[in-house]
Amino acid sequence: MALFQKISQLKEFVEEVIRILYYYRGRAVFSFSGIALGILSICIIVTTIDGANKKAQEIFEMLGPDSIMIFGVGEKQRAARIRTSTLKVEDADLIARVEGIYDLMRVYSARNVMMRYRDRNWQTLVIGSTTNYFDSLAWKFQTGVTYTAEDYANAGAVCVIGARVYDELFKDEDPLGKTILVGKLPTRVIGVLEERGGSFGGPHVDDRIIMPLTTVTSRIVNEKRYLSLVRVKTNRDLDRTIEDIRITLRQSHGLQGSLDDDFTLRSSKDILAFVTVISGSLLLFLGTAAVVALVVSGFVLANLFYLNIQERKKDIGIRRAYGATRKGILLSFLFESVLITFIGGVAGILLSVVLGSTFENLFDIPMMFSLKVVVFALFFSFLTGVLSGLKPALTASRIEPIEAIRG
Amino acid sequence: MIDLKDIKKSYFVGDRELQILKGIDLKISRGEFVVLMGVSGSGKTTLMNIVGLLDKQTEGRYTFENIDVGGLNDETLADMRNRYIGFVFQQFFLLPYLDAIENVLIPVVYSKKGIKHPREKAKGLLAKFGLEHRVHNKPAQLSGGEQQRVAIARALVNDPELILADEPTGALDSKTGGEIMHLFKMLNNEGKTIIVVTHDPKLATFGKRLVRIEDGAISEDITT
Repeated sequence: MALFQKISQLKEFVEEVIRILYYYRGRAVFSFSGIALGILSICIIVTTIDGANKKAQEIFEMLGPDSIMIFGVGEKQRAARIRTSTLKVEDADLIARVEGIYDLMRVYSARNVMMRYRDRNWQTLVIGSTTNYFDSLAWKFQTGVTYTAEDYANAGAVCVIGARVYDELFKDEDPLGKTILVGKLPTRVIGVLEERGGSFGGPHVDDRIIMPLTTVTSRIVNEKRYLSLVRVKTNRDLDRTIEDIRITLRQSHGLQGSLDDDFTLRSSKDILAFVTVISGSLLLFLGTAAVVALVVSGFVLANLFYLNIQERKKDIGIRRAYGATRKGILLSFLFESVLITFIGGVAGILLSVVLGSTFENLFDIPMMFSLKVVVFALFFSFLTGVLSGLKPALTASRIEPIEAIRG
Repeated sequence: MIDLKDIKKSYFVGDRELQILKGIDLKISRGEFVVLMGVSGSGKTTLMNIVGLLDKQTEGRYTFENIDVGGLNDETLADMRNRYIGFVFQQFFLLPYLDAIENVLIPVVYSKKGIKHPREKAKGLLAKFGLEHRVHNKPAQLSGGEQQRVAIARALVNDPELILADEPTGALDSKTGGEIMHLFKMLNNEGKTIIVVTHDPKLATFGKRLVRIEDGAISEDITT
């Protein structure tokens, strides 16, 4: 059956529904704000999860799929925020001998070290590491170079600074060759790292300076025996290498039987898994919120529609008298309902764009806005519209014209 | 055009059968102006609903434009109403969210005839009834007489053969009511078939034919 003879009739139909919505805008606003909230949640879920996945992929690529980190603190101590390291310098030498390991990076880090340049102060994380630090992390330089093996051997007072530190201490000044105070040690800046962004629960990744390990352990803190972290790369199976390192370290630390590890092993796989868990719980919480919001607003919409039909009985009657079929009435009411949810959906998408950037800045959650989100959101608003509008529209279409006209 | 044969209509109220129409025989030809008169409860509105294809008889045979409408489905009936009949009601029944011209255009939305330039046509009808300055007013901004004239324009926009008016003057003062009846007279002179249903004896003289209904049956049928 051709419901609309001409495009102009379709246009007339659509325009009429828009007028109806405008006339009953008081109640339409109610319904569509609920829909907007639901769609907003859906948008935030999708963008956040996409963002988190993208971030996870970035981390994965940044760390390298073959890398393992060894922290000198056990899981339990980590949980209790105890930071006393148990990872000895000799441990690193032992780990280096584990089969398959081809790159080993040693780190000793000192938190909250005060730095000074001219009249500017900034507290940051000081990382002492081996010369392969930047290659290992695939971290490029904005300007300058890394410290040399010679600097490392001589505990040279040189440093590479993170993008954040550069912003805080130098603003737009050229930092290369300038001397800053790191703690009490005058140190020459030889390089600036590219900005990486993100924080993952800790301090901002760009808020750090990197110096030769020897310089940090001998001239900034006095720590010759322990390391904070060792990071290795393996060309063997990741899990087998991890197991070998564990055995080596337990032996070295004299841990026997059921005693817990006093160190922590982490691979990039773990980080990926962690992000997956986070996006999973996000999906659960926001997903529930979204579904509840959509269902509730769907019911609100359906109810308002029922009221509406009572009020518009005469409207229906007159249309039926003038040739509207049951199908026509059904479609017109359905279209009205879908239009409300559609407007709500669009509002939700727009809101999520606005709120998304706020979110990103506030909580440092990366958001990935994409066409997928729009399609997803519009689909759900359409679905809500059809589901909540169907029953009332059916009721409306079953009203007999004479009954409607009689009132 | 209209041929009713022994039309009966009854409703069930509880388990008691209530007979509203008790066998109506009525023929109306093209170009007639019929006033269907009866007190409230006489069955005149039920009869009009059946004639207007809004309701179905319980018994009897109704032929409209040589089509037996007894077995037609909802869609065909809706199309026939749209094509052949223009309705005018006591309470005007203009849609409050549409302005005058959009109200006039309602039948066009459901039309399969394909009317050319419907907006111009609607505007022309409004102008014909002296409403050219009211084209974009909402019903709430119009007087009763003006609203009824918009409703009549709506009844005419699809070029129907038949205008069915149920108490068209019932909500108007007698002067305005008289104007509306003159309007129907004018439309009849232009060739439209017109049926006015009313309880008001003052309107009896406007038509060319008077059919009186009493207690579900025709008691008088005179050509004036």
